[in-house]
Amino acid sequence: MAVGLLAGRAGRLALLLVGVAVACFALMELSPVDPIDAYVGAEVTRIGPEQRALIAERFGLDEPPLVRFGLWAGRLLRGDLGTSTIYNAPVIGVIAQRFVASLALLATAWALSGLLGFGLGILAAVKRGSPVDRAIRWWAYTLASAPTFWVALLLLTTFSVTLGWTPVCCATPVGIDPADATLWQRLHHLLLPAATLSLVGIAPITLHTREQAIEILRSDFVTFARAQGEHGRGLVRHRLLRNVAVPALLLQFASLSELFGGAVLAEAVFNYPGLGQSTVQAGLRGDVPLLLGIALFTTLFVFAGNTLGDVVHGIVDPRVGSLHRGARP
Amino acid sequence: MLGRVALTLAAVMLAACGGGADLAGPDAGSSGGGNTSGASKGATPAGEAPTELRLAIGGEDEQGYDPTLGWGRYGAPLFQSTLLRRDAELDIVNDLATGYEVSEDGLTYTVTIRDGVTFTDGEPLTADDVAYTFNTAAEEGGLTDVTVLDEAVAVDDTTVELRLSEPQSTFVNRLITLGIVPEHAHGRDYGRNPVGSGPYVLERWDEGQQLIVTRNPDYYGEQPAFERLVFQFTDEDGNLAAARAGEVQIAVVPPALAVEQVPGMRLLAVESVDNRGILFPFQPDNGETDDDGNPIGNDVTSDLAIRQAINYAIDRQALVDGILEGHGSPATGPVDGLPWYEPESAIDGADPERAAQILADGGWEDADGDKILDKDGVRAAFTILYPADDSVRQGLALAAADMILPLGIEVTLEGASFDQIEPLMHSTPVVFGWGSHDQTEMYNLYHSSLAGTGFYNAGYFADQQVDSYLDMAMGATDLEEANAFWRAAQLDDDGNGFTTKGDAGWAWLVNLDHLYFVDECLDVGSPQVEPHGHGYPITAGIASWQWAC
Repeated sequence: MAVGLLAGRAGRLALLLVGVAVACFALMELSPVDPIDAYVGAEVTRIGPEQRALIAERFGLDEPPLVRFGLWAGRLLRGDLGTSTIYNAPVIGVIAQRFVASLALLATAWALSGLLGFGLGILAAVKRGSPVDRAIRWWAYTLASAPTFWVALLLLTTFSVTLGWTPVCCATPVGIDPADATLWQRLHHLLLPAATLSLVGIAPITLHTREQAIEILRSDFVTFARAQGEHGRGLVRHRLLRNVAVPALLLQFASLSELFGGAVLAEAVFNYPGLGQSTVQAGLRGDVPLLLGIALFTTLFVFAGNTLGDVVHGIVDPRVGSLHRGARP
Repeated sequence: MLGRVALTLAAVMLAACGGGADLAGPDAGSSGGGNTSGASKGATPAGEAPTELRLAIGGEDEQGYDPTLGWGRYGAPLFQSTLLRRDAELDIVNDLATGYEVSEDGLTYTVTIRDGVTFTDGEPLTADDVAYTFNTAAEEGGLTDVTVLDEAVAVDDTTVELRLSEPQSTFVNRLITLGIVPEHAHGRDYGRNPVGSGPYVLERWDEGQQLIVTRNPDYYGEQPAFERLVFQFTDEDGNLAAARAGEVQIAVVPPALAVEQVPGMRLLAVESVDNRGILFPFQPDNGETDDDGNPIGNDVTSDLAIRQAINYAIDRQALVDGILEGHGSPATGPVDGLPWYEPESAIDGADPERAAQILADGGWEDADGDKILDKDGVRAAFTILYPADDSVRQGLALAAADMILPLGIEVTLEGASFDQIEPLMHSTPVVFGWGSHDQTEMYNLYHSSLAGTGFYNAGYFADQQVDSYLDMAMGATDLEEANAFWRAAQLDDDGNGFTTKGDAGWAWLVNLDHLYFVDECLDVGSPQVEPHGHGYPITAGIASWQWAC
């Protein structure tokens, strides 16, 4: 049974990857960005047609689109993601290097927004209608409608430029080997980008948790528990938490995609050398192999997140696990 | 030599931390994160120079530091050395080469190189490496165009012959910019592990963040004053913040931020040929199109009187003062201030009356009383395109349009992306910016044979006399002779040329000054007139920078 489940998942993933690759490639083909123009930049008056032909050859752009896609797919099947035109390095290496930098950022922001969002959501639900609830909701609505880059710029201007408390760039202090950077230095550089992502990520978790918690607080078993005299923290801990945790967890794992999207913007603002920054560059400069590589990688990442969410869901809520098992012969 | 101590890398950092010779920011290992050295400068004992220099001037080449892919095309290649180089006056002097000769037919460059030079891995640098470098660059699809090279052949250990497929006097620029790579250590990952014979060695490169280089003790030239250079890759705001915090000794700033005061730093304005000008479509609109079906020609700007009148009407000094905050100079052509510039091509200030006279003589008059001139049913009105994300070009276009309107010429402005501009640039004037130490650019902008080839001669400029001067300059075997022809193409004794007094193919507006905040103690000598590209080019003379406190 588990094998069947796995096979189903794997099949869906394969289809998804193919779809993403085709869509991504098609979009890049339709994009007005000419990778050679983008690469040549200001050298454009000194690079002759012959040299452009050499560049096209090196980038593999001298073939028609379908052939290029075929070649790319063929190499992919052999485990080769190709060479990034911007970085002149294997795509897989570029992604690995940048993702390590992004990982700390994503993990911090993900954990923070999850925990804070969940806590605030429960608090708002329990104190429904009170000034606390209204304050939390106002805060969540404001943040939900604030674009990530705007929050990032606001924080950067305030804390880095005006107050000078936090650094304006990079993941570790300039001038030293990043391996020698202390934990404190790393956290110091991580602070603002992570804060930005957490702040923006909190809102949906808070609002959903609140809705869910309110519904559960209205349910028969809570009313029954109340009638039995249970109230306050005990009620929250015994009746509410586990029931709200399930949808919150699913949401939390599903939010990986949004988180990644936010990281793209936040990294650009904070000059944080992660995968997000490379994604922007790949798009703006028409680096098809890199962008396709990143698209596939993020697909995997988000898909793994959602799958993990389902698995955890099954563990937290045994009914789900048995349903799955029951549904499949 | 200032503060020259032979130290290992770790010791350099320790010295920078504890020894008081401190610009590095106190402690790499302890508290405080990035902005550490704010208070450190006062602690520097008089007379003791820092061993480390920190720079926020860009300089990252994402594809790696491989000259055969274009690294070093302006500024110092740092890790590699070049056969020739340009000094502060842009005169050509020997570097790795001890001399070179060009054959009578202009097809063969014979270069002799120093004996006894070694790469930083200890291997000797021979003519084979030079030949390999040129041959590789010629075949590589990178950012340096060496396609004219037929083959490079090492004649003996110290002599190399560079054989061209056609004469090209500007090929000397390849000898100036192409850093020599070792044949035995050059491969795909060379850009990330450069080995060369230049003044500095790569210590580490954290992509997107910083580049750290240390002095090459075996460098054949004079040892640079600074043991270690740290380039940080921040954006404009980050550069300024780093300068304010005392984290860097030199930072590049855009004109808009140059009004700021930074304690302990002075504002350095370096002249440049980083120019901005309006490209005029040169041909009338006969309904022709280029290979991609984009329209060619404009019935207004194809008229010489219109182009000349606009050139005379624009008050370039006002543009410099108003748009560039004074940080620039009026431009007369694409090569102002370079050794091949023709000073006679300059016009003195704005002369709106003369402009009006030129238009009247050219047959333009306001026949229908709408304050806009007409001639043969053509109304003197056109659009000027500018890249929408460039506020300086937008400002220049706006101001120029205001200066032109009183003549009776109506200009509509339109911001666009380069991808939108490209199909329109043969038929609509565009605010472009160029500027290079390579004369090829001038050739490409004005030679009729290159009309419509990419961004080359986008206005389809065509003048036989100019073509022949450009061809003669390109074919010359002597650089002085070539320069004479380059000058004649701008303006010859008979008044022909592509500048205002001749065909006025463009209205060149301004040359930007490149602005840097520089530590009051840092002496960067007299920098070269810089090419297009603000930031890294200032490193052209970095090996001779000194600490002057």
